[in-house]
Amino acid sequence: MNQQLKWAYNTFSGSFYNTFITFISLVIFGFIASNLVGFISTSEWAVVTENKRLLLVGRLPQGEEWRAWSILWISSFLIFSSLNIFVKPSIKELIFISVIFVSVCLIFITQDALFNVIIFTTLSLGSYLFAKYISQTPYITIFRKLLVFMWISIIPLMFLVLIIGDGPKPTLWGGFLLNIILAGVAISIGFPLGLLFALGRASQLPAVKIVCTIYIETIRGAPLVGWLLLAWFVLPKFLPEFWNLNETSVVIRAMIILSAFTSAYTAEVIRGGLQSIPKGQIEAADSLNLNLYTKLTLIILPQAIRVVIPALISTFIAVFKDTSLVFVLALTDILQVGRIIPEQDPQFFGKALEALSVVAFLFWIVSMALSNLSTRVERSMGIGTR
Amino acid sequence: MKNTSKKEIGKEIISTTDITKSFGKFQALKGITSKVFEKEVVVVFGPSGSGKSTYIRTLNRLEPHDSGQIIIDGVELNDDVKNLQHVRSNIGMVFQQFNLFPHLSVLRNITLAPQKVKGMKRSEADDIAMSLLKRVGIPEQADKFPSQLSGGQQQRLAIARALAMQPKIMLFDEPTSALDPEMIKEVLEVMTELAESGMTMICVTHEMGFAREVADRFLFFDEGLIVEEGTPDHFFNNPKEDRTKLFLSQIL
Repeated sequence: MNQQLKWAYNTFSGSFYNTFITFISLVIFGFIASNLVGFISTSEWAVVTENKRLLLVGRLPQGEEWRAWSILWISSFLIFSSLNIFVKPSIKELIFISVIFVSVCLIFITQDALFNVIIFTTLSLGSYLFAKYISQTPYITIFRKLLVFMWISIIPLMFLVLIIGDGPKPTLWGGFLLNIILAGVAISIGFPLGLLFALGRASQLPAVKIVCTIYIETIRGAPLVGWLLLAWFVLPKFLPEFWNLNETSVVIRAMIILSAFTSAYTAEVIRGGLQSIPKGQIEAADSLNLNLYTKLTLIILPQAIRVVIPALISTFIAVFKDTSLVFVLALTDILQVGRIIPEQDPQFFGKALEALSVVAFLFWIVSMALSNLSTRVERSMGIGTR
Repeated sequence: MKNTSKKEIGKEIISTTDITKSFGKFQALKGITSKVFEKEVVVVFGPSGSGKSTYIRTLNRLEPHDSGQIIIDGVELNDDVKNLQHVRSNIGMVFQQFNLFPHLSVLRNITLAPQKVKGMKRSEADDIAMSLLKRVGIPEQADKFPSQLSGGQQQRLAIARALAMQPKIMLFDEPTSALDPEMIKEVLEVMTELAESGMTMICVTHEMGFAREVADRFLFFDEGLIVEEGTPDHFFNNPKEDRTKLFLSQIL
């Protein structure tokens, strides 16, 4: 106890400067906290509570919500069982996750969705406990493989759920659902593509190298909004006419552009990792007569990707946030919903701050989860660092 | 001292004829002609920049030579990928900086190549790896990662990794130069044991005590050429060339 007191004294007021900084920090912290509490308690949250549906799924037609709910259920099973199997959170982290979970439920719960929310909550808790149980049985290896397989197939699965049985047109997808889908597609197509472009740019074959370099530099050379506008006006003229490809939905076009954008940025990040591999590693692999494929997949890439995980995840976070730029294609993602309602609905005039702060909160949760994942993955791969 | 049980030197296994190699304007090898026989231990030494490392690195084509001819175990080393694979499968190499795979466990470092190149089953590869770890004296480290080992242990692991491919020839590129003095001995002991077991070895090293004990022949390199060649006795008692004398006087 004495020790802790001594530590606290030394840290917060050991010298004049420490005291000064402690004081300033306290003032700033108190100012922010009191404003925040004031804002939350005095604001009218009707703008959010009345428009939950728009914020979450946009203009998805009535009677099609089950599609969004099933996606949520599948992902809650995946997220919460993986949480136990792969992440093994501490008590502190569990409390943090529960607080976030409960606050999201509280913001978005409604009378008619109550039943769905209860299923969702039970499923989340159930899959966490189920994973905990199964990790003590010999089925753990099969379960692990199943989870990995499901993570890989989650994006096609989402599409299937959204399209199966005469689903709504993609242009009607909206709200947070649209952000999640766009980000999911952009990352899961952009990452493997970026890997190939990175390898291409590091290749010894001049033709491959030049093509990859031109691709990467062209995509990175213009802003994302520019590319999206290009997709809006120009892409249809370039796409072939058969299968009505030239009339593909703007959502698909947004996906193409976002994936291309992600691939260019990940390519550069991964190239940085490739350059960090000492020449000796390649020489050792060569002297052991490993072929190119083994050398890449078992020696070079595992080390290269491990080095760039923080940069990779921050690229992914950036892409996730960039999905809100699809408003230039007249799509209504969550940010757009949060912006439009206070402007156009007389009932909620001037409530932009409330709407936007909830939007920001949702973005923050996902980004936070991703960045936590990054530190986790880094730590778990950290064994045997040089 | 020189091992008395004279081993049989076999037939010719490495033959280089007039090989050259340049890095930009710098000519590292200016025409090396040499022969190495089966079960022979050849020690290569010379001042830095003399081309000794480049020479042994051309033997498994980590550095492709510019001109001349290299024949290893009856196969010419050239652009032909099949030849290259044949040669590399017969040559193991140990590096100055160990070049272990830091993301793989000690055991996986050894079993990777037998599994992926020879298509060996995992259990079989594990058995071979364990027996090799015993041979180099670190069987208890199998489940650790390379960064958890001492320098000497890492280099012994590197030797085990190369031996797992059952090579006919082992190349050592300054295997003890990156080690602390107290760790050099443990690596040299493994190398001595290997030499006594009849492995064909080419070592770039300045550990003259070791060299004198196990080497059958010395090659002295300077400025991209073999300046002098002979038995250890010849070098220690009456080297002919002035450059050899000067260099030996500096390192002994």
